[in-house]
Amino acid sequence: MRLEKCWFCSSTIYPGHGIQFVRNDAKIFRFCRSKCHKNFKMKRNPRKVKWTKAYRRLHGKDMTQDSTFEFERKRNRPERYDRNITENTLKAIKKIEKVRVDREARHHALRMKGKKAKEQREAAKELEQGIHMVKAPAALQEEPSLTLPKIKVKVSHQQAEKNHLMEE
Amino acid sequence: MVQYNFKKITVVPTGKDFIDIILSRTQRQTPTVVHKGYAISRLRQFYMRKVKYTQQNFHEKLSAIIDEFPRLDDIHPFYGDLLHVLYNKDHYKLALGQINTARNLIGKISKDYVKLLKYGDSLYRCKSLKVAALGRMCTVIKRVSPSLAYLEQIRQHMARLPSIDPNTRTILICGYPNVGKSSFINKITRADVDVQPYAFTTKSLFVGHTDYKYLRYQVIDTPGILDRPFEDRNIIEMCSITALAHLRAAVLFFLDISGSCGYNIAQQAALFHSIKSLFMNKPLIVVCNKTDLQPLDGLSEEDMKLVVEMKAEAMKTVIGQGGEATDSDEVLLTMSTLTEEGVIAVKNSACERLLNQRVELKMKSKKINDCLNRFHVAVPKKRDEKERPPCIPQAVLEAKAKEAADIEKRKLERDLENENGGAGVYSASLRKHHILADEEWKEDIMPEILDGHNVYDFIDPDILQRLEELEREEGLRLEQEVDNDDFEMDGKELTPEEQEALAEIRKKKSLLIQQHRIKKSTAESRPTVPRKFDKERKFSSERMGRQLSALGLDPTSAINRARSNSVPMRGRKRERSLAKGDDGNDAMDMDVDQSSKKLRMMSRSRSRSTSRPPGEVVPGEGYRDSKQKVHAMKLAKKSVKKRNKDARRGEADRVIPTLRPKHLFSGKRGIGKTTRR
Repeated sequence: MRLEKCWFCSSTIYPGHGIQFVRNDAKIFRFCRSKCHKNFKMKRNPRKVKWTKAYRRLHGKDMTQDSTFEFERKRNRPERYDRNITENTLKAIKKIEKVRVDREARHHALRMKGKKAKEQREAAKELEQGIHMVKAPAALQEEPSLTLPKIKVKVSHQQAEKNHLMEE
Repeated sequence: MVQYNFKKITVVPTGKDFIDIILSRTQRQTPTVVHKGYAISRLRQFYMRKVKYTQQNFHEKLSAIIDEFPRLDDIHPFYGDLLHVLYNKDHYKLALGQINTARNLIGKISKDYVKLLKYGDSLYRCKSLKVAALGRMCTVIKRVSPSLAYLEQIRQHMARLPSIDPNTRTILICGYPNVGKSSFINKITRADVDVQPYAFTTKSLFVGHTDYKYLRYQVIDTPGILDRPFEDRNIIEMCSITALAHLRAAVLFFLDISGSCGYNIAQQAALFHSIKSLFMNKPLIVVCNKTDLQPLDGLSEEDMKLVVEMKAEAMKTVIGQGGEATDSDEVLLTMSTLTEEGVIAVKNSACERLLNQRVELKMKSKKINDCLNRFHVAVPKKRDEKERPPCIPQAVLEAKAKEAADIEKRKLERDLENENGGAGVYSASLRKHHILADEEWKEDIMPEILDGHNVYDFIDPDILQRLEELEREEGLRLEQEVDNDDFEMDGKELTPEEQEALAEIRKKKSLLIQQHRIKKSTAESRPTVPRKFDKERKFSSERMGRQLSALGLDPTSAINRARSNSVPMRGRKRERSLAKGDDGNDAMDMDVDQSSKKLRMMSRSRSRSTSRPPGEVVPGEGYRDSKQKVHAMKLAKKSVKKRNKDARRGEADRVIPTLRPKHLFSGKRGIGKTTRR
């Protein structure tokens, strides 16, 4: 029993899931679910479909080269069973996975590094440029702080003098 | 050679039918339409085609008849003679000859008339030529129709002839009428021949089949033969004589020793001697039948003598074949078909004798050489007298012996399975013979999948080493990370006020965008109306006030200005308040300069027209005074009171003058269906 990778999205296919398609040239395409299968039938290129691993790797969203990937290699020749080796392997898999996850997280953090500063800058700029939409320049001159003015109650011209409800 | 199966001959139609068939076929299969306006060559061709077609059909059918009927000279003489006996050879040949002549005549007719048609110059002439040709052909056939009828009868009779193969093993049964021939054949074969007490029950040849030593024998039952000179014999007897004459068979001459057939032994013996010439070269057996009525030993002296004479004759045939001088049991047999004693013995001896004769003949003939070749067994010739037995090396013998012993000693998996409970209970451990570093590992279960990875992909003898390296690397990396992490900048955070303002800005922006999108999508179908038709009250001064105040500006002056400039919609009493406002506000000086339209709007009469006390008489209505008007109004109200109370339909209620106006319910549509109106 083997866990395969989906040809389209590169997720693991567990036993009992998905569809395999064998082409006339004997190439096997495995799909984890009908979403991938249908996308394949539509002849979409996984490298252009945003949510697939292929796209993410290609566009540098996910980690591409790493030594942790070297550990997992498909072997075609069966190895003779050795209990010790198997034990070690099982323990090692867990550790390798942890390392890999850490590295992925680091990669992601690195990618997102400048985001906060950028966002703040953009927000400041937007505030500066758009403040006239919420507070008239005249009011701004009178009162330079950025507190928003409150909406006044209805004006009837008899009480026009009374209704200067401008808050400071 | 038709395999002597005359059932396959096609039916010969009568003269009339024949003509009908051919002519109707011509009618159907050739073009029928012709006009006198066609080109002459076309007309000629048309009629020539008809004539030729008819001739061809006649030719075909007549040829079929001639070919299918057997030619008496070409078939086996037995059949030739038989047919001659039955149908008269000459008559038969004559009939076929006539058919042949008819065929030739028709051919000639067709040729002549086609030649004439080549020079036909009008439709009528061509047509009459064609009619003449066809007519003559039909006359020919009409003349020949008695022959056709005769042939048809022959064909029917021939189809019912028994299928006798003249070359295979045959046993012929002959004798006087009523001696028991048919009963005998009924006993040994599956034939079902009529057996009756009167003579000549069997009127023709009958065939049955029986088996002896895995071979099939034909048994032919013949009608009885009477002792008469040859010329006087009737057709039925002639059948038997023909059979006797031509078939190479074993002959069983039946003798009724009881005399219950109506003829005594002397007569039967006389018959025997008269036809004994036919028994040349055939194994002959004299069979005494009906021994249940009269045993052979109980015969009188003369009868016995006659029988012995016959036996002697029969013996001659045996000796004549070059056989040994056997005892008389072979040639003289007794049996009784009623009690069935001796029947099988007769059959066996007849078959045996026939077989021996045939084998001898075959051995003498040249054909046997072909067969002999097939029987040859090749054996290598001995070179010298040395013994050469097969040689097997000693080692092989030992190994064989050991293996035999081994097989007994070794325990099979199957035995193991049976011991432990059978097929469903015990499952063999497939890993019993695996070669591993440590024997304890044989029954280990290894997981194949862990956390979404295939374990087999990770297995590596030096995985620990590599893991160490990896962890070292990771450790290094972590240290570096810690150093770099210090430079994380926090940046300028927005204050809560600023955040609020930003949120507001974004909200406003999105609102604008939404509105713009709506406007854009409805731009084509939305009418551009001026502000005075503003139904949603979007452009009210209140709204403006709210918006301005939201921005932080004081809207009062703007509102006032807007209101003073606006036109009252429903005649509001603006002038008074406005006048008041005018006094106190210098900014409203503009009122004086208002347009004349607005002044008119505010004039007295206009303002008054919009609201008056009820009884006031307006000049132009026609009332004398307000009292009259009031009275009139009262009357009007009274007249509708009852109707209203009863909730009846009034003058103002909707009424449709014509329920189905013609212009809506009639007429065709320029385009489309009129399934509904």
